[in-house]
Amino acid sequence: MSGSYAIVIPISILVGGAFLLYLISRLLHLSNRVMSILTVSILLGTLIPLISFYQQIPDLIKDSSVLFGDPGPGGIIYKHSAVGIFILIIGSFIAILISLYSGEYLSRDSRYLVYYPLVLLTLAGLMGMFISNNLFNLFLLTELTTITASALVAFRFHQVIAIKAGFKYLIMSSLGTMTMLLGIYFVYRSTGDMHLDHVLASADNLTLIGAACFLLGFSLKAGVVPLHTWVPDVYGHAPSAVSGLLAGVLSKSMLFIMPVICLRLGMTRVELGVYLMIFACLNMLVGSIRMLKQNLLRRLLSFSAISQTGYLMFGLGIGFYYELDHAYSAGLFLFLVIAVMKCLAFLSAGIYQFYSGTQDIDKLIGIGKQMPRNAFCFSISLAGLAGIPLLAGFTGKWLIFSAALTAGDLFALICLIVFMASTLISLGSYLPTLVKQYQTPVKPITFIDGEAHPRPISLWMFLPVAVLTILVVIIGVYPAPWINVVDYVMRWMSI
Amino acid sequence: MTPYEILLPGITILPMIGVVVLLIWQKATKKQAASIAIISESFALIIPIVLLATLRREGSILFSMPWIPNMQISFSLELSWLSLIFLLTEVLVTLAALIYSLGEETGEKFSNYYYALLLLFSLGMSGTTLADDVFLFYIFWELMLLASVLLILVWGHGEIRFRVSLKYFIITHFGSLLVLACLITLYVNFGTASLTALIAQASTLPLNMQIFLTLFFMIGFCVKMAIFPLHIWLPDAHTVAPMPVTIILAAAMLSMGTFGILRFPFAMFPIENLQVFAIWMMIAGLVSEIYGALMALAERDIKRIIAYSSVSQMGYILFGLGTLTLRGMEGAIMHVVYHAIVKALLFMVVGIIISVTHERDIENIGGLGSKYPVLVTCAAIGVLGISGMPPLGIFNSEWMIFAGGFDSGISVVLTVMTLIGSLLTVVYALRFFGGIFFGKQKPESLAKQAPRSLVYPTLAVTIFLIFEGLIPGPLLDWAMRGLGIIFGSLQ
Repeated sequence: MSGSYAIVIPISILVGGAFLLYLISRLLHLSNRVMSILTVSILLGTLIPLISFYQQIPDLIKDSSVLFGDPGPGGIIYKHSAVGIFILIIGSFIAILISLYSGEYLSRDSRYLVYYPLVLLTLAGLMGMFISNNLFNLFLLTELTTITASALVAFRFHQVIAIKAGFKYLIMSSLGTMTMLLGIYFVYRSTGDMHLDHVLASADNLTLIGAACFLLGFSLKAGVVPLHTWVPDVYGHAPSAVSGLLAGVLSKSMLFIMPVICLRLGMTRVELGVYLMIFACLNMLVGSIRMLKQNLLRRLLSFSAISQTGYLMFGLGIGFYYELDHAYSAGLFLFLVIAVMKCLAFLSAGIYQFYSGTQDIDKLIGIGKQMPRNAFCFSISLAGLAGIPLLAGFTGKWLIFSAALTAGDLFALICLIVFMASTLISLGSYLPTLVKQYQTPVKPITFIDGEAHPRPISLWMFLPVAVLTILVVIIGVYPAPWINVVDYVMRWMSI
Repeated sequence: MTPYEILLPGITILPMIGVVVLLIWQKATKKQAASIAIISESFALIIPIVLLATLRREGSILFSMPWIPNMQISFSLELSWLSLIFLLTEVLVTLAALIYSLGEETGEKFSNYYYALLLLFSLGMSGTTLADDVFLFYIFWELMLLASVLLILVWGHGEIRFRVSLKYFIITHFGSLLVLACLITLYVNFGTASLTALIAQASTLPLNMQIFLTLFFMIGFCVKMAIFPLHIWLPDAHTVAPMPVTIILAAAMLSMGTFGILRFPFAMFPIENLQVFAIWMMIAGLVSEIYGALMALAERDIKRIIAYSSVSQMGYILFGLGTLTLRGMEGAIMHVVYHAIVKALLFMVVGIIISVTHERDIENIGGLGSKYPVLVTCAAIGVLGISGMPPLGIFNSEWMIFAGGFDSGISVVLTVMTLIGSLLTVVYALRFFGGIFFGKQKPESLAKQAPRSLVYPTLAVTIFLIFEGLIPGPLLDWAMRGLGIIFGSLQ
């Protein structure tokens, strides 16, 4: 073991924090809210070193000695990645909001003791995936995220549907990680090494098969059509907070790890670009078309998440295929805005479900008049996802458009037409959903405990929603600093 | 930066302040909310008039402020002669609609939001005419759409409004997306979002690119202009919207499509390169003209009759633009202005008729002529106006459009057909007028008097229409200067 220990500080805080938190909570019988506060403080503790990494990105990336672990053939090795730092800052921030939200959201559940440690471990796994430079270690950390995330999905295990969703996620994700394991076999057989930096030098056909396996595995975990079948069930029936984390950050960040691995295993940028763009079109179309006929709020959002995965892939695909830096940074920017908007959408949909006990859109008609503040936030999130100007989504749309038009190639233009069609089709489901909140209800909504009026929304739940709403507006009205951030990260991206 | 340049953003910022005040002042009664809206909107009228002298001296006034520097996007506004005509038309129509709305029953509930949205609607249009940055242009362009959709959604008539506003939004947004694609193509190609810079450079684009961009721009803007077959959103949206919104939609918003065509493809690309479009624009214009008129003839709902008449009138404008001659385009611009006034007047008349009879079916209305002398005068002038009777404005503009058609030498047949087609306008206009004001009095029970608060603004618009028709000089001069950007300096 050698090198800079700083690199593992955030992940150690998360893992250590998770176990410590569980231990303390068992011993002291902590209440849900105390746990929520403790989790937030652990996450804040992670955010501090991450932000200091962010400021030192040029030094950390340039200086190849800043790594941790054993650089030998089988050794575990961790190395900074600029994109990783960026994504993890967003991830930790979202996790903080989700933990706060859960302070009230889980008030009717008894198993909150395991919930918060699982959130921390999921994030730790994600963090590890970004810094790990060893394939086997990457596999382990992917498994960690998979298992913890599926436990989170099946958190309400007394509901059959939750168990079903969790099981589906576990099976599908494990299939993904198994494919990755198969990929590792090919790579190891060909090169006798699992260190990513060494593999590239001896890339051959076998490592290419390995790359394909990784491509498949990550695609499955990102919900790329036709491997998306788990997405609606999981996001639709997991606790809302978990859906927000999974849809907003976890599954989409797979798209940023995928290129790093595949390119090092010998795949060319053009091949990756073609793959991403073709499947992006599928994702955009399937997501937006399937969205039209959904009557469950979060299922609708899940299909919209599938089409957003498509947008992201489209941006990245152009970046690789045409070697366009600003297409890649458009992808990063899109990641940021989708994380914020998607999380907002899931959290405020969760508020509806929490207070009314249903997520059936037809039963929620007119709820906007009863819960005006939440309806406003939810509307902002839907309008943002629909790409209405002066909200975050529009700037992302503008960037993707300009990336595709800079490429100017027929292939890019065809994909752009699909993109335009997808945004137009998805309007057909965002708008009715938005409008239904304000329509006159056919029959009065009954809220939880059979009351005719909802209880006031708890600040624990509303605060994160409000923060995200403000962010959506701020990023939309004044995107300059955020674009600066993305460009800065882009400049030091190491692929 | 001269004081005049600093004054320019006031056209957008002062109404915006009005919007903020209205949003904060939840308890405002309808009168209070309306007066705030009228006061803040009148700034948008006063400022351009104040700037007129400077504009005459300098040709255009530019205000620019950095906004998103890393994307080369700035908050730039430019007042030129072309934008001045559209801006003043739009602001005047909005003011008329705001005053008219006081006598109308819509907006009693949530008055502050109602007027805030009306202001935003107008703000979107003012911004569209002024924006000198493609990003900003698109934001204003969508603001205009969004505000109108919300107005129809919340204050529209009947449960059908949800479906109608959705249809309106999606179809118009489709047009906007095409426009957006063109805007971004230009932005990406030249690395700048400034419209002035783009207009200066755009003619260096390869010819096929120019053709494609023009095509997309054209389709995009024709959706807004409601040219057949892209008009399908218009009749429903106009019918369902509350009357002040209908007035702004028909009289002001439709003309934004014309502005877009003049501001983008026409100003950017050399006119010779657009010749391929000439005949198609003329045909589309003719088809729209005749289709709109026939539908107006077939409709029974009086609001829909006037709504379809918009489709028909926009056909003339597109025809005028399609001639690609100075005279034709000048006629098109003048037609925009005259049509705005006439259409506002006709919708106001329809509003009064609906309010006194509580009927919308022309078969159930009749013989109102003897009962309301002022109304019948206004309606007569409006109907004569839209049929192109001299000396009322539309006669001037139609004359120029047809003259442009003959000038262009593209197809005399088409021009003659348009000329003959304009007879249909007279037919539906007279059916409208005769059906409502002549014959047996229907329905039996009528309000004793037309509400004064509705009649006065209608009367004012009528007088303005006559006045505008008699003195077309200044407008002609402005239109001439406005077209300088397309045909080189003409002064």
